[in-house]
Amino acid sequence: MINLGEPIFILIVIMTVAGALTTVLSGSVIYALIGLVATMFGIAGLYVYLNAPFLAMMQILVYVGAITILIAFAIMLAGPFYKRPKEWTGIGKFSAALVVSVISFLTFFTIIMKVSWTEGKGAFNLLTKDIGRALFDRYAFPFELISLVIVVSIIGAIMLAMFSRGKND
Amino acid sequence: MKTINNIIELVGWEAIKLLIGLIGVLVVVVVNALVLTWAERKVSGHMQRRIGPKEVGPCGMLQPIADTIKLIAKELLTPQNVERPLYFLAPVIVFIPVMVSFVVIPFDAYLQVKDINVGILVILAFSSLSVLSILLAGWGSNNKYSLIGSVRSVAQNIAYEIPLLLALLAVVLMTNSLSLRDIVESQKGLWYIVSQPIAFLVFFIAGVAETNRTPFDLPEAESELVAGFHTEYSGMRFALFFLAEYTNIFIICAITTTFFLGGYHGPILPGFVWFFGKTYLLVFVILWFRWTFPRVRFDQLLNFSWKLLIPVSLLNLIVTGGILKL
Repeated sequence: MINLGEPIFILIVIMTVAGALTTVLSGSVIYALIGLVATMFGIAGLYVYLNAPFLAMMQILVYVGAITILIAFAIMLAGPFYKRPKEWTGIGKFSAALVVSVISFLTFFTIIMKVSWTEGKGAFNLLTKDIGRALFDRYAFPFELISLVIVVSIIGAIMLAMFSRGKND
Repeated sequence: MKTINNIIELVGWEAIKLLIGLIGVLVVVVVNALVLTWAERKVSGHMQRRIGPKEVGPCGMLQPIADTIKLIAKELLTPQNVERPLYFLAPVIVFIPVMVSFVVIPFDAYLQVKDINVGILVILAFSSLSVLSILLAGWGSNNKYSLIGSVRSVAQNIAYEIPLLLALLAVVLMTNSLSLRDIVESQKGLWYIVSQPIAFLVFFIAGVAETNRTPFDLPEAESELVAGFHTEYSGMRFALFFLAEYTNIFIICAITTTFFLGGYHGPILPGFVWFFGKTYLLVFVILWFRWTFPRVRFDQLLNFSWKLLIPVSLLNLIVTGGILKL
């Protein structure tokens, strides 16, 4: 029997990385967005491989269904400025980007190395129920704190929008 | 026979089953679209005291086939100023969610491509891709009518996805499962339309809005936007959008049947007859809407969702949770 899993896994990884590269390198915002969608799908595919279909579907529902659509909406409202020349800026911006990416890479690297990961082949069987329990029982406080942060940012956004709207009239 | 056994051994029984399922899905998609184009014209005709198509075949039943041949034979026009990759990509992406949704819908007790334990989430997650495709079509066409149509479509879809999810969540709370088969099985005695009438109404209204049908067809309002997001498409590319739209209508009705009308349950007749009967009854209701309600204004459309449907479905969810806890 051919193992179909491996080629599909490689395809998913290629899709994730290619999407990420498109997002970063593309000169046009809308192509960057499509790259982002591809990356999100790739990550969802990786979740499926980790035996977490619920997380995978949530990834697509939230990141593809809500976030990228909202970004696309914002791009459209901002006006059709595609076919804009690519901006390869000077050494200043480049070095700043380099510093930021190195710092974030090191942060993630240390966190990933520190956490003790549960190993197991197929033994890692997470049920949707367990996720719900974890969110509303063990991690209830951080969960609620996150929603508080979101409420604050929504109110802030509304305030900003109302303020600028009043100015224009 | 030996070669067949060899192939099965090579790729595994599961993969073969999936392949057969996908072919079956394709057949259902095409036949459904043919039937629906015919039904739409016939129903519209009779509702306006006309006869509708009658020349090709008995009762004009072969009309959709003639139309298909016409669409295939048409030249594929590509307008000069479109953003080419996006313009070509959009009609392809519109088909992904449609195909995926069919995989998890249980047509009968044993007639389902694959039962996934997060079935309903699969449909809801992938349905967002159709919005993306409309966006790409509108943007890539480089036409102001297309762009306005797609922007409207996105605003509408964002607004109506929330009540849609909340209505389904009430049913999920009652079944304790996200698998479509479990949801149907739990309705053996009582259909959820009886115990969750509000959720049913909210879901069906939001579903009609999600498929961009009248009275929520602002994204393709022909009197003001020519044809909305697919203005610049012709021939088979246009046909793909059309096919996807009709399949989406079917899917919304199929989910309604699965969640609220007991799916394949019913006396005497085999399950799939009940399933398709209920689904096409709902499809007829949607066609009926088109000649009953005038198109709503855009602010009415958004207010209806944000100020009425979302609060009502939230309240319904809270009450359901409370009653279940008691």
